[in-house]
Amino acid sequence: MTEALAIAVPALPAACGLLVQLARTPRTADRMNVAGALASAAVALIVAVVALTRSTTPTHGSWYLLDGATGVFLGVVAVIGLLSALASPAHLADHGHGLFRARRSRAWYYLGFYLFWAALLALPLIDNLGVAWLMVEATTGASALLVAYSGRRNALEAGWKYLVLTTFGLTIALVGILVLYVGLAPRGGVLATLDWQQIARHAHSLHGQAALLAFLLIIGGLAAKIGWAPVHNWLPDAHSEAPPPVSALLSAALLPVVILIAWRVLDTLGPTLHHGVAKTVFLAFGLASLAIAVPFLWRPQAWKRLLAYSSLEHMGVLALGIGFATPLATAGVVLHFAGHALAKALGFYTAMPLLHHQPAAGEQPPRGVARASSGTAAAFGVTLASLSGMPPSPLFFSELLILLGGIAAGQLAVTLIAAALLGLGFLGLAHALIEGLAGGEPEGRWRRGPTVRLVERLAVAIGAGLIALSATAYLLPGWSVVRTLMRGVT
Amino acid sequence: MTGVLTWALVISALGVVVVRRRSVALALIALQSVWLGVHAISVASDQSTGLLVAGAVLLAKAVLLPVGLAFVVLRTREPQWIATERHPLVRLTLALAIALPIAALVPHFGLLQPGVERAAVGLVALGITTATVRRPAIFQVLGFLVAENGLYLGALSAPGGLPTFVELGLVFDLVLIVSVAAVFSAKIHEELGTGDTSLLGGLRD
Repeated sequence: MTEALAIAVPALPAACGLLVQLARTPRTADRMNVAGALASAAVALIVAVVALTRSTTPTHGSWYLLDGATGVFLGVVAVIGLLSALASPAHLADHGHGLFRARRSRAWYYLGFYLFWAALLALPLIDNLGVAWLMVEATTGASALLVAYSGRRNALEAGWKYLVLTTFGLTIALVGILVLYVGLAPRGGVLATLDWQQIARHAHSLHGQAALLAFLLIIGGLAAKIGWAPVHNWLPDAHSEAPPPVSALLSAALLPVVILIAWRVLDTLGPTLHHGVAKTVFLAFGLASLAIAVPFLWRPQAWKRLLAYSSLEHMGVLALGIGFATPLATAGVVLHFAGHALAKALGFYTAMPLLHHQPAAGEQPPRGVARASSGTAAAFGVTLASLSGMPPSPLFFSELLILLGGIAAGQLAVTLIAAALLGLGFLGLAHALIEGLAGGEPEGRWRRGPTVRLVERLAVAIGAGLIALSATAYLLPGWSVVRTLMRGVT
Repeated sequence: MTGVLTWALVISALGVVVVRRRSVALALIALQSVWLGVHAISVASDQSTGLLVAGAVLLAKAVLLPVGLAFVVLRTREPQWIATERHPLVRLTLALAIALPIAALVPHFGLLQPGVERAAVGLVALGITTATVRRPAIFQVLGFLVAENGLYLGALSAPGGLPTFVELGLVFDLVLIVSVAAVFSAKIHEELGTGDTSLLGGLRD
């Protein structure tokens, strides 16, 4: 039963993407999209709940792993995918086609979207590093054309950059996997040699230099896909040029799910490395990402580009939390991942009415949203207040937990630098929030069209979700999922 | 793995960095895949079915991907030489300056022949360098294929090769990525009238 459900998690969205190709009219395609998204998310959420209830005794299936991390990541990817699928028809109604011929453009969009979502849903489940790598590579193939969907020159550039940089990053990661595989099975191995549990069990047999080389190549390669600085160049471009529902999936689901793969590598391979080396690599990526992102949060940026640099900042925070590796920091990582996903997705959905009514926001910072549309302003406010870490946002609590975790880990200097950078980032986003809501010349009120109504509803739903997450912050440090995450892959 | 094969792979990868014509570079990549495929099949009988699969995959790759990319090349004729391309000698110097230290610095990681380890890593480095120093979109795709051939060289030298599932998944991903890259390449040509990616410079902070 569990195996069938686990197979259905990626199979359902993939099948939905193919079925939408049969739709004769855009309206039918949109209806099939809604039905497919609801079914896919429901199955994924059931499996996520099963994984969370079994978090104390992880289940290893023939190809899948159900543990606490699977439950948390699968649940969040399911929710973000569902929201993006529901937001897609409104976006497509506004932007018919570009890269593809008008008649087939919607079908191609849904095919790419669902294959991308299917790969993202499969990733937290996969119990094998080699297969996980294949799936991460598949996310690039499925999503690169979506990034360039508008067909504009800038979108082509962003999609091309995304394709080339992440593909080469993943090639480097594959060299690392080859080094690891040869080290684990010097006389020849099988696919199961790369199972997480097998890596954890046999990593001590690796030669020290080979283990370090494998770790650095795998994490360095994955960093290009995660968008950690200094290998983040594709991230701001792809996030700002992709259609908003796809940007939400890229930022709120893709980046953290690849971080999960990196985290599992740290858990399994890290203990064999010289004391602290593996964690130091994560801390270095974390600080570099924060340091590179913060100056851009201070500059006047187009809305989606601002959100993209905020993603860089938050992926840095996640890297720091994983690198600190204390129960408090781990609890913070779980909360930060979920809170960031919800807030960032809402931010990208807010771009739909914003760019429709204020096209200049595609190139310049948005202005005077509060005067133009109270619903859009609410979504705008919830997004930036949450992402800046303003209390009572869950990101305030998660950042606090991660910083306290850093102190508990004895990383006082790193914690202080991170706290200072987070403070500066907060000020930058707070400034953008005030300017965006109240700045600029008065404009007329926006018509309350489909995108505005959609964003109003999402602001209420996601706002409630964020408050619920904040309420759980108090309970998280003692949660069984966090304890399981601290034990690593078992 | 013979030294001749290893050198042939490295020299053909350097050829991709240097040559002007996209069709010549495509032929070099196809040759690399044929050499690797024939080698994999020739040693498969002694060792494992994994190598046999790898050989078949490489031979299929030697035909299918270059044919697909040749189709893109035919459809996207360049009106003139790309002016922003660096001089071939500069490209060669850059490629050697990047690939040689990387190949020399990589420690022994367990393949049967240390020379093959260096060549495999060198090919990956040359592939990345090709994508960095060449302007036409097709050459950046070819850089990826050079890097993949480096990976295959390493995998063929591992005892038993890589697991068959990973081999097959890799080829699926490869076809997917190269197909998407081919679509991009055609669209970039349609938009700019050339495949010169240096003209895509609108996104800067």
